[in-house]
Amino acid sequence: MPTTSPDSLATSTRRTIAVLGNPNVGKTTLFNRIAGIRAKTSNFPGTTQEARIAHIRLATQDHADTESVLIDLPGIYSLHLDLSESKVCADVLDGTAAPAGEEAHKPDALLVVIDATNLMRNLSIVGESIAKRLPTLVAVNMIDSARRRGIHIDAAKLAECLGCPVVLCSARTGEGLEELAEALAHPKIPDRTAPTDQLGIERWADDIYAAVSMPTDQSTEQPADDKLTDRLDRAFTHPVLGLLSFTLIMTGLFWMIFKLASYPMDWIDLWFGAVGSWVGSLIPEGAIHDMVVDGVIAGVGGTVIFLPQICLLFFLLALLEGSGYLARAAFVIDRALRPFGLSGHAFVPLLSSHACAIPGIMAARAIPDKRDRIATILVAPFMSCTARIPVYVLLTTILFPTRPLLQAYAFTMCYAMGIFAGLFTSLLFRRTILRGKSRPMALELPSYRLPDLKSALLLTFDRGVVFLKKAGTLILAISIVLWWLGAYPHSAPTQAANDLRAQAQSIVDPEQADTLLAQADALDTRNAAANSFLGRIGTTFQPAFAPLGYDRQLTVGVLASFAAREVFVSTMAVQVAGSDDVDDDTVLESIANATNDDGSPIFTYATSWSLLFFYVLASLCLPTLVVTAKEAGGWKWALLQLGWMSLLAYTAAFAAYQFIISAGGT
Amino acid sequence: MPTMSAQSAQSARNASTPRVNSKAVPLTQLTRGQRGRIDCTAAGSEDCSMLRAMGLRPDVSIQMCRLGEPCIISLTGDCGGGCRIGLAKDIASRVMIHIDE
Repeated sequence: MPTTSPDSLATSTRRTIAVLGNPNVGKTTLFNRIAGIRAKTSNFPGTTQEARIAHIRLATQDHADTESVLIDLPGIYSLHLDLSESKVCADVLDGTAAPAGEEAHKPDALLVVIDATNLMRNLSIVGESIAKRLPTLVAVNMIDSARRRGIHIDAAKLAECLGCPVVLCSARTGEGLEELAEALAHPKIPDRTAPTDQLGIERWADDIYAAVSMPTDQSTEQPADDKLTDRLDRAFTHPVLGLLSFTLIMTGLFWMIFKLASYPMDWIDLWFGAVGSWVGSLIPEGAIHDMVVDGVIAGVGGTVIFLPQICLLFFLLALLEGSGYLARAAFVIDRALRPFGLSGHAFVPLLSSHACAIPGIMAARAIPDKRDRIATILVAPFMSCTARIPVYVLLTTILFPTRPLLQAYAFTMCYAMGIFAGLFTSLLFRRTILRGKSRPMALELPSYRLPDLKSALLLTFDRGVVFLKKAGTLILAISIVLWWLGAYPHSAPTQAANDLRAQAQSIVDPEQADTLLAQADALDTRNAAANSFLGRIGTTFQPAFAPLGYDRQLTVGVLASFAAREVFVSTMAVQVAGSDDVDDDTVLESIANATNDDGSPIFTYATSWSLLFFYVLASLCLPTLVVTAKEAGGWKWALLQLGWMSLLAYTAAFAAYQFIISAGGT
Repeated sequence: MPTMSAQSAQSARNASTPRVNSKAVPLTQLTRGQRGRIDCTAAGSEDCSMLRAMGLRPDVSIQMCRLGEPCIISLTGDCGGGCRIGLAKDIASRVMIHIDE
């Protein structure tokens, strides 16, 4: 373990430098300035906190190019708050925690970043850091902004008061960064101490502030951008204007996600289709061919196709956050969510969940209160994700085949029903197992600024990789298992199909013969689906779904959806039409017109409504459950989510089916 | 440790302190643009620690920038500049202040 002696630093080959500071002090911008694009995001094991890590080289007097690991810790107001991010930072400074992939030991140096425009408050965390007795360097950031406001800081006096080096800098303009890099190689254990109790530190900070801040230049006019900030704040948090601008911005965000993502999604779809055909032509027909083409390539393609939406969502959210708007939006939405026991912090997770619940649940990490966070995670999968869209399209088309307006109403109703069920769930849980009022919001409102494109791109890249690693591996595995269950055991051709084929051979008209052969193939595929392991599972579980109006084939479709909801449409297509090409209108028509073994239609009016309610409310996504267990801190929460959503879905589907049947519907 | 006597520190803190009303009132009673000094926060212990760490601690001067839900205050300088904090009305009503005369 490295020691914290300054003498030993010269001989150490790889130093760890922790970067600490309040939120909104430009810490990450400063980190990116020093680290460039070589940084990566890493989790603290067992927590939902993450840090950015960069390996940099610093030229020291004793060793040219000493390798250092720079760790950008989460922004915190104090090391002693009862918050996960505060605990993680305190543990890193004590040497008991480290980001995944790094060895836990006391940092060799501590860079404390503070805001020159708000020195008095920022000095508190400097005091707490000094008490850790680590080699320390203090960077007073945003010095350009402070000067414009007539704030002057005596750096030499501050260094004397703190007993460690102090550098005045601006990450935005680059001022003082060379000096900072030089000073980073020579941090010093402070030769002053600070009190350890809160009141003592506050007094200590006040004393130092009084000693180092020069009298404010009263003649300095309020900068124009400050006036603009004040006006924008009042508009964005206004009860009417705030809601209006929020609606406009979010509509734009959604439009861009759905519109722009559709192009790369089409390319990915085409590319995987081409790769499937090419690989398929290389491998001889058989089990391995089927597994690679229908299992592996289709599974990977089915996952990667959602990547553009996920990346676009995180990129746009990063831009919005970087602009300073999200903090204001959180207050707007807080008014609407509070009566249901959710806080404004839940807004980004719930919004993200409309694309996919997995990044939505991951975004809940930023919610400070644990009960607020768990309630948000439990509610997130009720939001209608993009994977539900193919199912909604199928069922609304079946329900209202020639009435597009009614289709649109039904579609909107699905979204509204999901949100309503989520709010009801939150209300219920916050009054029972997660009892307590939602914590009132207290948020620092950062200055409005042009978002940093580079930071947004880096974050998007990291999130994309995490998504591919987490969801990709799991969905891929599930796809292979599902393919195997659906493909085996192989069934011999049926007598009826063989008769049709024989009949086709005796017919002269080639068109009629082709039709008969296609019918024979469809019969065989349907028979194979019924006799496969998946088909047998469907037969076993069908009685449980009978009160909802589902036959064996629908039961298989519902069960297969536990891997991923969108699987329902292709599973139904395979079962009823003998083709899984759901882009083909005729296949959708054949699903709509599919019949039971006794010839009665599968998708009756009552069954379709029952299915629609079921798909809005059911927890049909294994990866979501895995992420819930990880983020909420245990499988009990994932099982509760599964149980509660299944109960709601079953009850609503049952009520819908029985109501329509008892009212004389079909 | 900086060697500053308690007396000089106190005088430094109060150097630019305007005269204040002796009676503490909830923060929500400030009008827009009005300034005051924080007396104490009567929020729950968790919220109280958080607010103190965010800079809302006794004797700190603030300016009211927006009333209502949320209430926006400026910790340093004028509204729009420096550090701005948004508070839900529920929590703002539990922060007691002395209004500057």
